[in-house]
Amino acid sequence: MISRRTSLMLIAPALVLMAVLFLTPLGYSLIWAFREEEAGRWGIGNFTKAWSFYSADILFSLVIVTLSAALIGALSIAISGYLTLGRSRRAVALLRWLYRWPLFIPFVVAAQVMRTFLAKNGMMNNALVELGLLTPLQTASYLDWRGIVITFAWKQTPFVTLLLAGAMASLDRSMIESAQNLGARRLRILFGIVVPQVAQTLMVGLILSYVMMMSVLSVPMMINAQQPTMLTVDMAWRINAYGDYGVANALGFIAYLMTAAVAWGYLRKELRDRKGHA
Amino acid sequence: MIQQAIHAQRQASAGLGAAISLKDLHLGYDRTDVISGLSLDVQAGEFIALLGASGCGKTTLLRALAGFVPVRQGQILLDGTDLSQTPPEARGMAMMFQSYALWPHMTVAQNIGYGLKLRGQPKAQIAARVAEIAGLVGLGDLTGRRIAALSGGQKQRVALARSLAVDPPVLLLDEPLSNLDAGTRATMRHEIRALQQRLGLTTILVTHDREEAMSMADRVVILNRGRIAQIGTPEQVYHRPADSYVARFMGATNSLPAELSGKEGITLTLPDGTRAQLPRAQLHIPEPVAPGPAKLIFRSDAVKLGAEQEDGGLILRGKVAQHAYLGSVYRHEIRIGALRLMADAARKMPIGADVDACIPATALSLFPASPRQP
Repeated sequence: MISRRTSLMLIAPALVLMAVLFLTPLGYSLIWAFREEEAGRWGIGNFTKAWSFYSADILFSLVIVTLSAALIGALSIAISGYLTLGRSRRAVALLRWLYRWPLFIPFVVAAQVMRTFLAKNGMMNNALVELGLLTPLQTASYLDWRGIVITFAWKQTPFVTLLLAGAMASLDRSMIESAQNLGARRLRILFGIVVPQVAQTLMVGLILSYVMMMSVLSVPMMINAQQPTMLTVDMAWRINAYGDYGVANALGFIAYLMTAAVAWGYLRKELRDRKGHA
Repeated sequence: MIQQAIHAQRQASAGLGAAISLKDLHLGYDRTDVISGLSLDVQAGEFIALLGASGCGKTTLLRALAGFVPVRQGQILLDGTDLSQTPPEARGMAMMFQSYALWPHMTVAQNIGYGLKLRGQPKAQIAARVAEIAGLVGLGDLTGRRIAALSGGQKQRVALARSLAVDPPVLLLDEPLSNLDAGTRATMRHEIRALQQRLGLTTILVTHDREEAMSMADRVVILNRGRIAQIGTPEQVYHRPADSYVARFMGATNSLPAELSGKEGITLTLPDGTRAQLPRAQLHIPEPVAPGPAKLIFRSDAVKLGAEQEDGGLILRGKVAQHAYLGSVYRHEIRIGALRLMADAARKMPIGADVDACIPATALSLFPASPRQP
């Protein structure tokens, strides 16, 4: 039996590392968001400044990330649903092999790939022109908010699909067969039987993706070099161009609140569901 | 379309289940045939039990009826309509799964009413039908509960109610009682049988429990390595086994090596070197046995310990090696030289006691020494 003291000593290095590398900088930046350096006092000046300069970007970030999360949810349900309920063995094997590739590609490379793919004379438009679906004059660049959403969805769908397909595969197969036996077709089984049972995993995957997308700098910077843009670009700008850590910290605080709101909503729902089951 | 046709046919046949005819059925996984060349006719309203050891193909056959195992060759006829290539969702055969396969995110009522919802029935009608079926299977006021809040027996009733709610022509039961405790199992056996007779449902039960098969079914089908070893009423398969596999599966675990000589007599060389003669006419000999080595098979409850020898019977002298209490009888292990016999008796015989084990000739079945290859 390990004593209380020994067990504390065992986890101490991990705790110290977490405190030094994670909690201290986080707490520091949260506190210093309320420090107005020029006036030499504490207050919410950084926040009013951040809001007056970047309210459009805050809203833009929220819309982009929510839209991307919705798209990721829909795509991952479709892919994992086909992996679970698909009848063509070859198609399932091919899809299983293909869908994971973006997982191994960093955001910055994904953004670079999308730049060449979605530009006005990029691969996508060239292919559409070659196929005769568009004329060169009709082509348009997707390197705006749509590009960010497409890149986020492309990069994060495999991650959520991986979690979701695993959860679906661990469902008792007879749950699907019993619905089929009563006359349900595959789409109905997917939305009536399978998705409700893996909803928690889906929520976890989407929340993790939401947090990750909120913190990505390279994608909005490389794909959408115009206004409005995402909060991460603004934060980098405030620090690099102005050395204005106060406003950057305030923007970080706002980003943190946005992700915390999602996590809180999820936790509340989870608790309510547990109460319902008990 | 097929479902509508089946439904119309069922209504015409005044609530009876549908007749099933399996013709030269071949089923399997990958390159192996699990069921090969199986043919079986099930009458409308009949209760059939598919009985066999693990891996004999009984569950594969049931799953093929439901459409979950593809048919390689042959036909599955439901009231004359071939369903062998019909997808599972269009077959209309309600299956009750071994794990019950209830959906935990739904209430009991939602589980039972799911099939009716799929058929586009109005909410009020679904609610009325759910209440009716819940009452029928004894779920009464539990319809608002979540699945996680139910006991094993209650879950089993929900699974049964869900299958029955859609008014199926055929009910397929995949070891439905295997997860229940002994007491609930006995009750549910009786209840399912009574319900099946009341509704006139054609029912196919898969089980490896011979008592369950015999107590519930009109006919028992014993499967051995993907083929039918015997079809018959419970009495037939129990008392008149078609081969040594069936005899052993139905509980005749005692086997004695014998020698068949001539047309009339059977000579048995006993461990002490003496020879016993048995009258061939009184023995159950279901398949041809050529002169030469053979085996006699009999049940432990046919052996009478310390009784007088009956006409034409066999008497073997041995020692009690062990005994076990089974509830209604004591099962004794009797050692006769190198041979071991199991014998049931109401009275416990002490270990080491010398006993005479008497087996009436009518309780003996004679089979070839090596079983026929299926």
